Order: sequence, then C-alpha cells, then structure tokens
Amino acid sequence: MSDELIVVRCQLGERDAFPELVRHWHGRVERYVGRMLGRADDDVVQEVWLAVVKGLPRLRQPDRFGPWLFAIARRAVMNRLRDAYASPEPLPVEDGPDEAAAVVDRELVAGALSALPPREREVLLLFHLEDLSLDTCAQICAVPVGTVKSRLNRGRRLLREELLRKGYEG
Amino acid sequence: MTPEDLLGRLDAQLSFRRRIAYAAVAFAGLAGSALIGVLWATEPHLPARTQVSFGVLVVIGAAWAIFGGWAVTRRTPLFARDRVVASWLGLAAWMVFAVGALLLAPSVPGWLIVVGCAMGVTAAANLAVALRARAALLRRRAELAE
Repeated sequence: MSDELIVVRCQLGERDAFPELVRHWHGRVERYVGRMLGRADDDVVQEVWLAVVKGLPRLRQPDRFGPWLFAIARRAVMNRLRDAYASPEPLPVEDGPDEAAAVVDRELVAGALSALPPREREVLLLFHLEDLSLDTCAQICAVPVGTVKSRLNRGRRLLREELLRKGYEG
Repeated sequence: MTPEDLLGRLDAQLSFRRRIAYAAVAFAGLAGSALIGVLWATEPHLPARTQVSFGVLVVIGAAWAIFGGWAVTRRTPLFARDRVVASWLGLAAWMVFAVGALLLAPSVPGWLIVVGCAMGVTAAANLAVALRARAALLRRRAELAE
C-alpha cells in the first residue's frame, strides 16, 4: 500500500490507518532524531508524532507526507539544538573536486555524524541516509538547493576530517 | 520506543469519542448560551438578580463553547469523518436553538429571525464543506486503491 493511500485513509479518520502510518515511519523518525541529537530521545519522537496528528487533517499534499514529516522532525530537533543552530553558518567553500564523496558510506557516516555541526549533519542525514533528493532536502530545511549543496560539500569535508581523525584511512 | 508504545502515548489524541465529545460540548455550550441570551433579550422588566444570573449562564455556555472549539482545533484535530459528524451536531444544535427560540420568545423580533437564519446558513454551509472534503478524500482513496 502506498504512503499516500495510508495518509489519505488517516485524513479520512479510518481507525486502523494511523497505526499503520506510525509503524511505517516510526523507525526513520527515531533514527533521524537519534542521529541529530546524538542520543535516543523518546520525548522528541513523541513530540514529532503529536505534531503529525495535529497537522495531518490540514496536510494538502498527502503524496508529500515524507518531506512534511521530516520538516516537523527537524523543527522538533531544532528546538532541542537551538544554541547550536544559532551559531553563524560558515561561508560557502568553492565547489572543487569532491574527493570526500568517495568516503561517504552509510555506516561510517552514521558513526561520525555526531561530531558535525547540526546544519551539515542534517543534510548529510537526509541526503545520504534517508535517500531524499536535493529538492526535498531544501524543502525540509527551508533553504535554497544551492545552500543544501554547499552544506553537503562542507559536511562531507568535515566528515572526512572527522573520519581521518578517528583513524579511518580513505 | 516501539510503535505500539508511541501509539499508547498518543491514545488521547487518537480517540474518536473524545474528539466528538469536545465538538458536542462546544455546540451544547453555544446552543445553551444562545437560548439564554434570547430569553434574556426578549423578556422585559427582569429583576437585576435574574439578569445577573442570565449573564453568568451565558458566560458559562460561551466558556464551554470556547473550550470545545479550542480542543478540536488545537488539541485533538478533527479528521474528515469527525468533521462530518461534528457538522451534523452543529446543525442539530442550531435546530434546538431555533425551536427553543420560537418557544421562548413570546413574539419573535425581526433581529432574532435574521440571527437565527444566519446561524442556520452557517451550520448548513459547514456541513456542505465537510461532506465535500470527505467526498474528495474518498475519491482519492478509491483512485489510489485501484
């Protein structure tokens, strides 16, 4: 059954649809929250789903549920990482040959992400671990696609430095 | 936390009965408050104590209406089916008000007819919008299920 169908059934108020939606997406929400915060946080996950319940009747594009859900999760995480997000963003670096992309691997990314600033951490998580497109990442983060690209480049570079620091040989 | 744990935590927000109860409380408060208001406005030469009592009852009814309205918009949202049920409740509350106002007011003043009709039109329009929204979602569900 497609995500959109489950969401439409939820919007209709069908009793068994919401548990189905939760079972389908809960793991990804929990993983995103856990990796962004560097620890599991059930309260934040609950806050995300509470916002989903409240906002679901007004969701106009049920086929865009995924990005909408991650945007909600991002807001909940931002509330917890307010200080970290408040620090000024570094200037974008020139797009050079992206050697660092070669070292991006799911498990390695997951392990080293906690050392990265939240803006870079979130785009790496959304793009590489959640397999979302650049456009979708930009929509979730409420920034232009170009900003997402520069954050990805900077994030990969920082990630490579972090991995090298931890002894990983690229 | 497993999905089942999470669903347990969201139980209150997902309760159909609770959502409809909030809507029913809102409409009951609104209808009661409006009926007392009609009685108050159309009954001449009421003693001060009675007027104060009516005022308090109007405020109590309005408070329940505001609480129910707040609950269904901010706390426990209404899904398409709930909105249809709530809209029927709204229409029923209007009918109670309309019949009650006719019985309570000795001679129905013109302004009361205008107010009553406006409330009835609002309740009917609300029901039409709710039915239309639900029908659109049902159509989409059928398309997706094919």
